[in-house]
Amino acid sequence: MTFSRWQLLNVAMRSFLLQASWNYNHMMNMGFLYSISPCLDVIYEAGSEREEAYLRHFEYFNTNPYFSSIVMGVTLSLEEKLHNKEEGITPELIHTAKENLMTSLAAVGDGLFWDNWRPYVAVFAIALACGNILLTPFIFLLLYNVLHLYLRFAGVFWGYEQGVGVSRHLKKYNFPHIRETLRMGTLTLLAYLIPNYINIHTPYLVGKWSFEAYLYGEKLVQGLVAIPLVALGVYACRQRVNVLLISFLLIIVALVFNHWDILI
Amino acid sequence: MPEHLIASLVVALIGGIVDLDSTAAVQCMVSQPIVAAPLTGLILGSLAGDITAGVTLGLMVGVILQLMWIEQLPLGQNVPPDAALASVLSVALGFCASQDYADYSVSVVCQTVALPISVGLGLLGRGLDMFVRRINTNINDWVKQRIDEDDFGAIKTAHLSGLATTFTKAFVFCFLIIWFGVEPIKYFTQMINSNLHRGFVAVQGLLPAVGFSVLLSMCLKNTSEIKYVIIGILIFAFIPVANPWIGIIASLMVMTRYYAKNQPKKRGKKQ
Repeated sequence: MTFSRWQLLNVAMRSFLLQASWNYNHMMNMGFLYSISPCLDVIYEAGSEREEAYLRHFEYFNTNPYFSSIVMGVTLSLEEKLHNKEEGITPELIHTAKENLMTSLAAVGDGLFWDNWRPYVAVFAIALACGNILLTPFIFLLLYNVLHLYLRFAGVFWGYEQGVGVSRHLKKYNFPHIRETLRMGTLTLLAYLIPNYINIHTPYLVGKWSFEAYLYGEKLVQGLVAIPLVALGVYACRQRVNVLLISFLLIIVALVFNHWDILI
Repeated sequence: MPEHLIASLVVALIGGIVDLDSTAAVQCMVSQPIVAAPLTGLILGSLAGDITAGVTLGLMVGVILQLMWIEQLPLGQNVPPDAALASVLSVALGFCASQDYADYSVSVVCQTVALPISVGLGLLGRGLDMFVRRINTNINDWVKQRIDEDDFGAIKTAHLSGLATTFTKAFVFCFLIIWFGVEPIKYFTQMINSNLHRGFVAVQGLLPAVGFSVLLSMCLKNTSEIKYVIIGILIFAFIPVANPWIGIIASLMVMTRYYAKNQPKKRGKKQ
């Protein structure tokens, strides 16, 4: 092993800045090169070999930022083998391996984080925020980053130690199943939030029953009216109506209903 | 107005730092509205000596904005709307404009008016984001030349300069919006007929519905799930208490059951 634990941790730390210079030509290429450059400097002495290595990794790079450290680990392990002139390792192979890995990890990572993990943690936090828990932002950050930081720091070691075999290791986690599970959790939390936290108050129930019965009646009306309202919203979203337009329509409708004393 | 200047500078600083998190650096999600908005509320609230009001406004804005753009994903070339700037500006505009009013419903009007304006500013923020990325593209070409000339140090400088551009963009944008934007919102609020003020309280209560609809339409994958969601909503509507832990525990139970029940069978067992 050429690299010490600290050098690999340094790569993981630098990967936090992966997208600082995101550009339209090569996307995250500079960030990738910036992250692995201290390790490239260890392998290659200053000169033409180092220049070639730098140019090799200046190419197009785009993946999910949280999974990027895995690609970095794999690339470094291959670069090390190339330097040691191991059989079958060529610059072209490094290029292909990196490209395949970054594409598949982009699909896995974007799906897991943007489609499922972030929405789940977000509704979790929104449930807490609606319960007036002021520490909600900290709970959100803590919960979200457990998975994020684990992947960042463990990923570079997985990649470096297992090389291209890392995809077999990742398969064990069965991400599609985890994603479906998270989706079910999100739907359940939404089912809890929709009847409870869309505030709909009507004047019809005021002063007819005892206070407790009135409160329960309010909650019931709120929950039942929320269903068609959200159903309309979902329909509009599915028809690709702009969110801003939906909000404006809702504001106008609410003001009109308020004017008619249907909604207070 | 010196107080206003300090508030503008503070908001610009928060905006700059929070916006770095949204793509350029770390991405630990401080830039998400549910964090960025209460954070802005906390800082502005402590400046004005009313922390609870600030954080409460922050949480309200955070809840509404968090889900609105959740389906806008940073995939490939796609640049999502700047939710971080929208939430910082929404809280800051709402808080600064409503500060002079003692009346609850007038301050709610200020806060509710600030919200859709900030959503528009978030869309404008996306345009600025694209501009920064175009600058980065030019820098990228320059670095390629430098590497050809054996100047490897250029990578570090050029790469990190991206952070400076992103920060400056957000800083200047937030400063200008707060510096020039607070007075028009106050003026607009004064213009609104006071009969409408109560209506804005109703609007504020209804707005989370938009976010819930967006996320629900994103999460529903097939039509057979609709009936289960409706049954779930009805159950929660009939439960007399609304406590977040009920929802959270229910979701954890559903997840454990789904995970255990639908676990894909191992190849060996199938045969």
